[in-house]
Amino acid sequence: MLKSVIEWTWVLAIFGIAALIGNWFGMDVLPWQAIPGMLVLIAVSLAGLMLEKALPFSMPAVGYIGILAILISLPGVPGSEYVVAWTSQIGILALATPILAYAGISVGSNWADFRKLGFRSFLVAISVFLGTFLGSALIAEVILRWQGII
Amino acid sequence: MEKVELKKVIKDWRLHAIAFILVAITEAIGQFSIAVGPGVILLLPMLYAFFLGLGLYFTPFISEKNAKNAEPLIILGVTLLIAKIGVTIGPQIEAIIAAGPALLLQELGNLGTIFLALPLAVLLGFRRESIGMTHSIAREPNVGLIVNKFGFSSPEGRGVMAVYIFGTVFGAVFLGLISGLLATATPLHPLSFAMASGVGSGSMMAAASGSLIGAYPELEEQIVAFAGASNLLSLSTGLYFSIFIGLPLTEKLYSIMMRRSERKLAKGGGPDA
Repeated sequence: MLKSVIEWTWVLAIFGIAALIGNWFGMDVLPWQAIPGMLVLIAVSLAGLMLEKALPFSMPAVGYIGILAILISLPGVPGSEYVVAWTSQIGILALATPILAYAGISVGSNWADFRKLGFRSFLVAISVFLGTFLGSALIAEVILRWQGII
Repeated sequence: MEKVELKKVIKDWRLHAIAFILVAITEAIGQFSIAVGPGVILLLPMLYAFFLGLGLYFTPFISEKNAKNAEPLIILGVTLLIAKIGVTIGPQIEAIIAAGPALLLQELGNLGTIFLALPLAVLLGFRRESIGMTHSIAREPNVGLIVNKFGFSSPEGRGVMAVYIFGTVFGAVFLGLISGLLATATPLHPLSFAMASGVGSGSMMAAASGSLIGAYPELEEQIVAFAGASNLLSLSTGLYFSIFIGLPLTEKLYSIMMRRSERKLAKGGGPDA
């Protein structure tokens, strides 16, 4: 477990540096201003990864991480105003860019499989993603309007 | 994640240096938008980063080993993204609860996949492959479900793998491109698309909601919170939704469509008609 935790910390730290660079170049937030927020995010991720290993439930780490992060940022929870203020220095897009950079590098190895797909499969796959996206948006629109939220 | 040794991943300085440079360059370039009819296609740094990374795979800069080593960075990067989304949801918990009915019901939007893609798949000549292809957006749990039920080399298994591969390679980019376009070109509200962005995959959600933020920066906090809450919901209910609703419904619709086309053939007097 300890070995895993140390390795996770390193990988998270490397990714965190990539995100801080993006945050700096893209959003003009100086890295040292964003470091406290990044440390909070890394701590939450580590806690979630450890809970996944330690607890017997079949919940993935991201489930624990999401719940934990919500809990520590709820209004009224001690310290939540710091959590919110620090993490607000990190833009969501600054985290998305390194994910997609690594994803681009990584999917190269799926390229051979991808090229075998054929045009018909490609069309169906596009309509699968379009279908779920539009379907969800339409339902959300109807209900949000009906509730008067939008 | 256990597939590659993390120690080697950490020490792959070439991979990380390239990633840092990609991030720095693409973020420095910034965002562009192209008008398409009434809407806008947003070109965001994350899209350039993806395509530059993919391009580098075919150069000597990135080897097969570097590419494999990138996988844990994606997985752990997504955990940071989920943590960031969580701390954005917390302060807005009341708004999320108020929007609870919409959040829950839009999960049924996955059925849009079945109604839109299944007829198209059958029309294009796919048979039982179409069940694997269109019952869901084919993320890992769904691949598991189909392989479990039908076997890996079954037609259904081939179908689910086709959409899985497309999604792995282009899912995030595709959703990123269409979400900004649809939100600016259709009368639907960006927050409805924010909820739709939570398809159950961190990178896809990031790309789809990222484009929405690019188009509507004043709604950033709300977009992140709605997309993130919807994504958490999809993650936790998606598989059960597929088991109890999505897959049975796809099979039912498929058999109805097949019976119809058989009847048509019979009426026409043979397969040549």
